[in-house]
Amino acid sequence: MLKLAIYGKGGIGKSTVTSNLAAAFARLGKKVIQIGCDPKADSTINLLGGDPVIPVMNFLREHDREPERIEEIAKTGFGGVLCIETGGPTPGLGCAGRGIITTFSLLADLRLFEQYKPDVVLYDVLGDVVCGGFAAPIREGYASQVLIVTSGEKMALYAANNINSAVHNFEDRGYAAVRGVVLNRRAVEREEEKVRAFADANGLPIVADIPRSNDIIRYEDMGKTVVEGDPDLDVSKRFLALAQLLLNEEKASA
Amino acid sequence: MKQIARIISIHAADTSGVCSMLYELGGMVVVHDASGCNSTYSTHDEPRWYRQDSMIYISALTEADAILGNDEKLIADVTAAAKDLAPNFIALCGAPVPLLAGTDFPAIAAEIEARTGIPAFGLHTSGMRSYLAGASEALEAVVERFCAERLPRTGVPSANIIGATPLDFSVNGAIESIIKWLNGAGFELVSCMAMGSTPDDIRRASAAHVNLAVSSCGIATAELLRKRFGTPWVAGVPVGERFPAMLASALKTAAETGECALPCADRDASGEGKKIAIPGESVFSGSLARAIELDTGVPCRVLCPLEAEDRLLAPGDLRIFDEDAAAAAFAEASGVIADPMYAPVCPPDVPFFRLPHEAFSGRCYRKESLNLIDRPLPWRL
Repeated sequence: MLKLAIYGKGGIGKSTVTSNLAAAFARLGKKVIQIGCDPKADSTINLLGGDPVIPVMNFLREHDREPERIEEIAKTGFGGVLCIETGGPTPGLGCAGRGIITTFSLLADLRLFEQYKPDVVLYDVLGDVVCGGFAAPIREGYASQVLIVTSGEKMALYAANNINSAVHNFEDRGYAAVRGVVLNRRAVEREEEKVRAFADANGLPIVADIPRSNDIIRYEDMGKTVVEGDPDLDVSKRFLALAQLLLNEEKASA
Repeated sequence: MKQIARIISIHAADTSGVCSMLYELGGMVVVHDASGCNSTYSTHDEPRWYRQDSMIYISALTEADAILGNDEKLIADVTAAAKDLAPNFIALCGAPVPLLAGTDFPAIAAEIEARTGIPAFGLHTSGMRSYLAGASEALEAVVERFCAERLPRTGVPSANIIGATPLDFSVNGAIESIIKWLNGAGFELVSCMAMGSTPDDIRRASAAHVNLAVSSCGIATAELLRKRFGTPWVAGVPVGERFPAMLASALKTAAETGECALPCADRDASGEGKKIAIPGESVFSGSLARAIELDTGVPCRVLCPLEAEDRLLAPGDLRIFDEDAAAAAFAEASGVIADPMYAPVCPPDVPFFRLPHEAFSGRCYRKESLNLIDRPLPWRL
């Protein structure tokens, strides 16, 4: 089972990258689960035609009980991708990080992986590793690899560096390792050069270079990923190539 | 009110179960909690505290440590202490504050093991489950690490006792009585997990022909040994006069056939009419119910307020989640055999027979604790 966590600065396009990657894995015939780990709970919306799944935290709040079946907190989207959102507490109250841990514990109790038997699990995680909860997706048993999404913008690279350092701090704990950088272009001057400098300084490869594309926005307006909308576009092929690369690596290591 | 105890006590929490199960095994147990809480886990619930050494410690977690995620302080403190104490193993367990902070104990244990070279494991205690969950996980973790070698079976029939802690059996001679009964039934004792045996005894557990789970907290370890070495297990406690012979027979059959058995749940409490209500740990209470029915013919029903697999309960037994449910079940009973702290919710016209349970009332009634092993039961029901 390929288990990936996608981190990056807030607003950098993690959900776009993650859901396109999920769609790409699905197009390659894989059984996929995507778990959005952000209180905004909008990670999977473009896999679901714009019709969101109820986040786990909302379920707990509305029903005052824990879900008893996976179907109560999951929806199937494009290509059979099972979509789950942790959601978050009432804004300004509670603890979002704890919410992620609670959700993971619930999913374990519901035997999600044993029941669904996915080939690929993607965790789309809020901007930065701000506390223990947001590191939960990279703990042992969850993601084994981390992808860092960044553009050439200074603050995006700053966040990427923080994330890389945080993951390194957990090296002795058997946590996930950083697999590489996804360059999500923002039309920044000398963008590739800046991102490559960061990647080289940290010994990380750039595993995908996603061009700035109006097609992504066009299909998102329709509640779709661009991989679903038109897999033959160059931008879609980039996601498909990344998915294939990761699958090939997993096959080689098995 | 649901899941509320306003009048009666509640059972000791998972952390107490860990401390109790690991007390005699020469390991260092570190509870990540505020300073002073050791008396809760290891004094009030622990009859061995004042006469037998142990290595149970509190990390003295502070508010700042919790907020700042100062895991390094815990790791450094435990590493330094372990170098002085040279324990057989290090067990880390949590409490409600680490639960909320999401402390990753298995990961911290891996770091400590890497630094000290001493086997270390993190346990998922939170103070939110009962002692059985903690005791079960702790014993399973020890056996998982230390009973890896398949040893030849002993020449004579032999058994391990699994799941013994003072929380269920006090320190009143009951465990010694079980060992004596086991020997009388023709079984040599390999180890008693975890009262009165050394870590080396436990390392030899795979040499036994059969395992006797005397509490539901021993079932997971018994299952681990079954999967690893094919050793069958039997669940029950030899209480009363006639049930011990039945349990001995079940042990012999299991040793011969390799099949597991649950004589403690081989009952039927679903019939009409009033019954003696026995609230408590499922294996002990089920065994007591069976013993009473065999010795006196009086029907019994187990009320289970603790974690228990369905297979440990008999038809008609009842899971109770709060004192209202206990009171309602007592009102329908012909009598109640329970810890004295249940008495306030027992109707005055229902006879109440006192059976102290340390996991429920700690040391309050320790002097009254009863050894019911392989002997006539003390009550006129």
